[in-house]
Amino acid sequence: MSVLTLQLAGPLQSWGASARFARRTTENAPTKSGVLGLLAAARGLTRDADAELAELATLRFGVRIDQPGTRVRDFQTAHDLDTDESMPLSERFYLADAVFVAAVAGADPMLATLYQALRRPAYLPYLGRRSCPPARPVELAVHPGGDLVGVLRAEPWRAADWYRRRRARETDVELTLLTEVPAPGSTPNATLRDQPLSFDPRHRRYALRSVHTSTVTVPNPQARARQTVPPHDPTSLLDLA
Amino acid sequence: MYLTRFRLNAARPGARKLIASSQALHAAVMSSFPDLLPSAAGRPRVLWRLDRNAAAELLLYVVSPGRPDLTHLVEQAGWPAAAASGTPGWQTYGYAPFLDRLDKGGIWNFRLTANPVHSVRVRDGQPTKRTAHVTTQHQIEWLLGRQEVGGFRIQEKPQERRRTERGDLHQLVVRDQRSLEFRKTGSTGPVTIKTVTYDGRLEVTDADALRKVLTEGLGKAKAYGCGLMTLAPIST
Repeated sequence: MSVLTLQLAGPLQSWGASARFARRTTENAPTKSGVLGLLAAARGLTRDADAELAELATLRFGVRIDQPGTRVRDFQTAHDLDTDESMPLSERFYLADAVFVAAVAGADPMLATLYQALRRPAYLPYLGRRSCPPARPVELAVHPGGDLVGVLRAEPWRAADWYRRRRARETDVELTLLTEVPAPGSTPNATLRDQPLSFDPRHRRYALRSVHTSTVTVPNPQARARQTVPPHDPTSLLDLA
Repeated sequence: MYLTRFRLNAARPGARKLIASSQALHAAVMSSFPDLLPSAAGRPRVLWRLDRNAAAELLLYVVSPGRPDLTHLVEQAGWPAAAASGTPGWQTYGYAPFLDRLDKGGIWNFRLTANPVHSVRVRDGQPTKRTAHVTTQHQIEWLLGRQEVGGFRIQEKPQERRRTERGDLHQLVVRDQRSLEFRKTGSTGPVTIKTVTYDGRLEVTDADALRKVLTEGLGKAKAYGCGLMTLAPIST
């Protein structure tokens, strides 16, 4: 077993787990289907390669929210190129300025190929939706022999400099960890329909997956102590007159 | 000599007016001496300083040859109801016994709010102009330049506690740089004064000279809350 870590940072990201029809929502953190889709694209798998996808889907998945970002709502109008008929109006949600560390755990040879594939991707990676390119290299490292939760806990804080400075009062920051495997002190509080069964464009299918929420504390390299006024009492040695 | 401490009640409009205006505070301090007429020439030096330790901890220190009566300050900017129950609302301490005990070699914590300036000639042939030191390094040098005459020496930091290779030699912090700007009747432009607060540790090298600094002040703008240095034991 080893663990492959990825950083997902970009001006916009969008990770839909239950998005249907004209309202395309986003979760607060990357979904397993979104990240596996990114990996499958890097490997060059086609949309209907269900057998290879089934192999990928055995990977265990976890994500850490390093910088939550803000939710952005976009109201999209479009017209058909040929007939100029208006398409259904749609609402699209994005996460702006978010940074995540995602990790997948699985067999060593598979992760080694995936890491190589991310360095020379067959199809370009994007963060949940094709209009959301990553702002940094996606692949971080392969940790041989690591466990998913341990690797996510040990990873340094990947938030942007301005965001770290904004939280300069905190020497340690608490980050949310969403993992597929139970972490110490976690609560299995949610299920998400993002376990991919098929990316076939004619009929995409997903299964339910449990999500365990826990927190992890990481040091803030930009932390600065608050300036305090030194104590000074000139009257301590004097007598009242 | 007397050292007086008065705590301003930051919640009162009268206190806010005094905090906002060094001129108003100077007038309030000077009017607390019943023997001192405004017209008196060569009147004794009164020094004062406002310590802003926290948003609601504003302490006014006054060093004066005479005993002040701060009743008007208590009424405008203090706690008159609390003061009515026996305590006067301010504390006046005898300063002379402490000053007499100052000895060469003694080590003290000090605090000083000052107006570090130098005179520069902008163009040849023009008179020099008093100009504020704006960088921390220059402000430190300004104070270091007054050690010899002032009878004190600012302690050096042990090597392992210096955070930078150069410029962090002394046990001294410079903080709270403020710019005062106000108009004075009779002057054409505004008066601008830059003040900084020094906190540090000093060693007495000449007790008489240091007594002079403590009672007569250091540097310019003494009417606007600058120049009063106070000492405190290093254990606190």
